[in-house]
Amino acid sequence: MERPKIGVFSLTGCGGDQLMILNLEDVLLDLLSYFDIKDFQEISSFKEDSDLDIAFVEGSVSTKQDLRKLKEIRARCKMLIAIGNCAISGGIQAMKNGQMEILERMKRVYGIEEDIYGVLEPKGLSAYVKVDLEIPGCPIEKEETLRAITSILHGDMPDQFDYPVCVECKLKEYPCVLIEKNLPCLGPIIVAGCGARCPGLGLPCIGCRGPIKEEANAAAELEVLLSKGYDEEHIVNLMRIFCANFGEIKKITEIIRRRSGKGRQE
Amino acid sequence: MNRERRIEIAEITRVEGHGRVEVIIEGNRIRDVKMAIFEGPRFFEALVEGVRYDIVPDIMRRICGICTASHSLASIRAIEKAFNIIPTKQTELLRDLLIHGEVIESHALHLFMLALPDYLGFPDVIRMARKHPEMVKAALMLKKAGNLVHNIVSGREVHGMNDMIGGFSKVPNEEELLKIRKAMEESKRTAQLAVDLFVRAGTPKFVESENILMALDPGEKFGYIGDYVTISTGDYYPVEEYEKLTNEKSVDYSHARLSTYRGSPFMVGALSRLLLNGKKLSGTARELFKEQKDLLTHRNSLMNNLAQSIEIVHCVERCIEDIDALLSTGLVDEVVEIEPRARRGVGAVEAPRGVLYHDYTFDEDGRVVKANVITPTAQNMANIEKDLRIATQRLINQPDEKIKRVLEQIVRAYDPCISCSVHLMRIKS
Ligand code: SF4
Ligand code: SF4
Repeated sequence: MERPKIGVFSLTGCGGDQLMILNLEDVLLDLLSYFDIKDFQEISSFKEDSDLDIAFVEGSVSTKQDLRKLKEIRARCKMLIAIGNCAISGGIQAMKNGQMEILERMKRVYGIEEDIYGVLEPKGLSAYVKVDLEIPGCPIEKEETLRAITSILHGDMPDQFDYPVCVECKLKEYPCVLIEKNLPCLGPIIVAGCGARCPGLGLPCIGCRGPIKEEANAAAELEVLLSKGYDEEHIVNLMRIFCANFGEIKKITEIIRRRSGKGRQE
Repeated sequence: MNRERRIEIAEITRVEGHGRVEVIIEGNRIRDVKMAIFEGPRFFEALVEGVRYDIVPDIMRRICGICTASHSLASIRAIEKAFNIIPTKQTELLRDLLIHGEVIESHALHLFMLALPDYLGFPDVIRMARKHPEMVKAALMLKKAGNLVHNIVSGREVHGMNDMIGGFSKVPNEEELLKIRKAMEESKRTAQLAVDLFVRAGTPKFVESENILMALDPGEKFGYIGDYVTISTGDYYPVEEYEKLTNEKSVDYSHARLSTYRGSPFMVGALSRLLLNGKKLSGTARELFKEQKDLLTHRNSLMNNLAQSIEIVHCVERCIEDIDALLSTGLVDEVVEIEPRARRGVGAVEAPRGVLYHDYTFDEDGRVVKANVITPTAQNMANIEKDLRIATQRLINQPDEKIKRVLEQIVRAYDPCISCSVHLMRIKS
């Protein structure tokens, strides 16, 4: 069989997901040898503008240039895989979406008004093009990624987690940080697959793998955290770190903003 | 008539992030040298505005995947300074271990996987591995040893969560620390191999020129955490005054606004650290530093590679030393009270690529009012452009392809991390 032709690309992000692939030190050289790598700017000066069987894309679409690049990649690949939260939903840089205009962010950080970057409100790839597979995480889990790549090499689509971090945490018999330490844990609405890393360390889940798409009940989570005495503003900030482009959470932000707006009028 | 000649590297490869180099030559004169960044901006300082202190490090460590623990520690230290929290001895040792592990991982990645192919004539490490499989495997094991520190101390290789304001959520146990110790013992040989390789590879002299060096003063022993900045001019500043040092200015040879110190470009990173603080090294690293003294000149920024390799040797030995110190006293769980204050704090660390500053101002509830982050790559940018200009001038009669190769090698020697520098750079192209 011919080796699949692949490319690994990054849009706007931190490089952490590509790095997680390189962190597969034990198997890296073997793994890479299964592929015919046509483009991997971070580690190679070799580049060939050929069609690709698979493109791995990290990072969000945050500039017009990102968007152009994404469309080019989509046009040349058969399968497009979004790696990491930035590529799936815009990631951490989407945190203030809908709260602070992107040009306002630029003005605050750079003190300039002219849009020299051609900035766009950060979004995931699927807001613009068809995405065939999403590997969640900030960063991606390397074992999960390896499993996904192996499945694809065998011609299958990998299984995806459809239950929350909370379930994983219970399976591991970690003490619940929400109940026992009163910490604002997002485990109930975040997709599993990390082995409940944070609760395992006695920390609350901050949601780096993103929400379980159809099922996350963000409103119920909000009520639970409010009952624990956390203020709304903090909870919303927390939920927005990784999930700001997610419908349910957008809705909640809106409700709270309206409510607190009313509060001021009274 | 003077014809305009343009040399362009459309996308620099084997670096973290996206950058472009452009040189415009008129006759025998260089008209313009630009290193432009086209990585998208993420506006981290705006993201944390209004956010409560306890989730600030979780957000800020995501500025960079490679130097995530450095961002984490700079952020945590800034907050601790603002709130007047003094870390315990145990926390200091664990942080020291963490940042030394990060330097190993980052330098091993850069030296073996990104830079060395230049010297051995390969387009990448994959092709290099076909010819030198044992060497590449050893390098990967070295990188893995650095990552093991990330995993055990911070909870994950990239964007760990265990290091937090006041200390660590879960203190590593003896068994885990011994596991790191063993990996470090096994890495000693590979660490020295890197030094040999870069000494033998020889280093071209096409960038030789004066450089101003800047690094944190690590205190008594060589290291990566400090509160004062030392400069090769003899000047010395508390980190709180960093703005005097990273003063962004428009310079006549570039469209970008660049960091300069008293109007001149300066250099941060491994070479600066070794030359400014090398007398504080101990053990094998000290010997190697002395042996290579002649090669390690402040006039040749390409020596940053050799300096990084000596730092790996230092880091491997220091990890063992830190672990022995931790085990000798035993590890205990610690709880730290945190009381927010309406104050400003500046935290700095030496990230693998050089000095990194985080600066926050809080309101009385501990919400961020203002934030500023200055990354090492942003500080190096003016010096990189200076070197690109000098090298181009010296090679001006050479064919474009040769010049391009050299320019790319120069940029790479600084091990730039463009993803995290971007939020500072203001580029017009
Ligand atoms: S998802 Fe996280 S790890 Fe991946 S690029 Fe974005 S910030 Fe980095
Ligand atoms: S517990 Fe939550 S924040 Fe922690 S790694 Fe898992 S998904 Fe990410």
